[in-house]
Amino acid sequence: MSSPEGDAPSRPDEPLDLVRLCLDEIVFVKLRGDRQLSGRLHAYDSHCNLVLGDVTETIFVVDEEDDDDEVKAITRSHSEMLFVRGDSVVLISPKPQG
Amino acid sequence: MENGDNEARDPSGFLTAIIGAPVTVKLNSGVVYKGELQSVDGYMNIALEQTKEYVDGRLHHTFGDAFIRGNNVMYISADS
Amino acid sequence: MTSQLLPLELIDKCVGSKIWVIMKGDKEFSGTLLGFDDYVNMVLENVTEFDFEGGQTKLPKILLNGNNICMLVPGGEGPTGS
Repeated sequence: MSSPEGDAPSRPDEPLDLVRLCLDEIVFVKLRGDRQLSGRLHAYDSHCNLVLGDVTETIFVVDEEDDDDEVKAITRSHSEMLFVRGDSVVLISPKPQG
Repeated sequence: MENGDNEARDPSGFLTAIIGAPVTVKLNSGVVYKGELQSVDGYMNIALEQTKEYVDGRLHHTFGDAFIRGNNVMYISADS
Repeated sequence: MTSQLLPLELIDKCVGSKIWVIMKGDKEFSGTLLGFDDYVNMVLENVTEFDFEGGQTKLPKILLNGNNICMLVPGGEGPTGS
């Protein structure tokens, strides 16, 4: 296949390179089940298992008491390290500055 | 890159042919992402640039760069 | 002896013609099959996406993930054709 530069033993550009560039940066992570996290990315692997620090977690729930389908956002923060199992990850994006 | 039209016929050929192009990615959840395709790998993990997220057809979020984990992907469509 | 047609050989015979794809969930696609791989990921052209509320979306060319495919109907025009 095409290898324009010829060197690059670790393929020029693959999607996980984007995650590598996020190391030690603040990232936004969307998870299955209407959850999202933002925190500093300390480590990741090829399964998208993540280690995050200073995490803010947001869970979106529909309030059963109200009849209007209002979605409520519940946030909580974890100052310790958080491990996220890769199979629940949907999307990872670098956050503008912090 | 000889015979580029033919290469776009099998899945890996199609993916290399649309790198850099605007694409629509639909997830199994129904959420849609539109952006410029940076790269794809064998798991269908996807990196998009200038990504717009649509939930129920409405613009919900924008991202500069976005990594999408391949197991959630239903299809990748080349916009035209 | 080799009168048996393997499943993927059947799909291979469909390359270049219309195919109807029924997903595991509430979704179906019809379009022209351009190619596929061992996971039955498929490249389709002139695609119509059917959701089960009856909505239809036209897509010029897609790579469909084989993971959630349930059934393939060669020559099928989709749920409206039959």
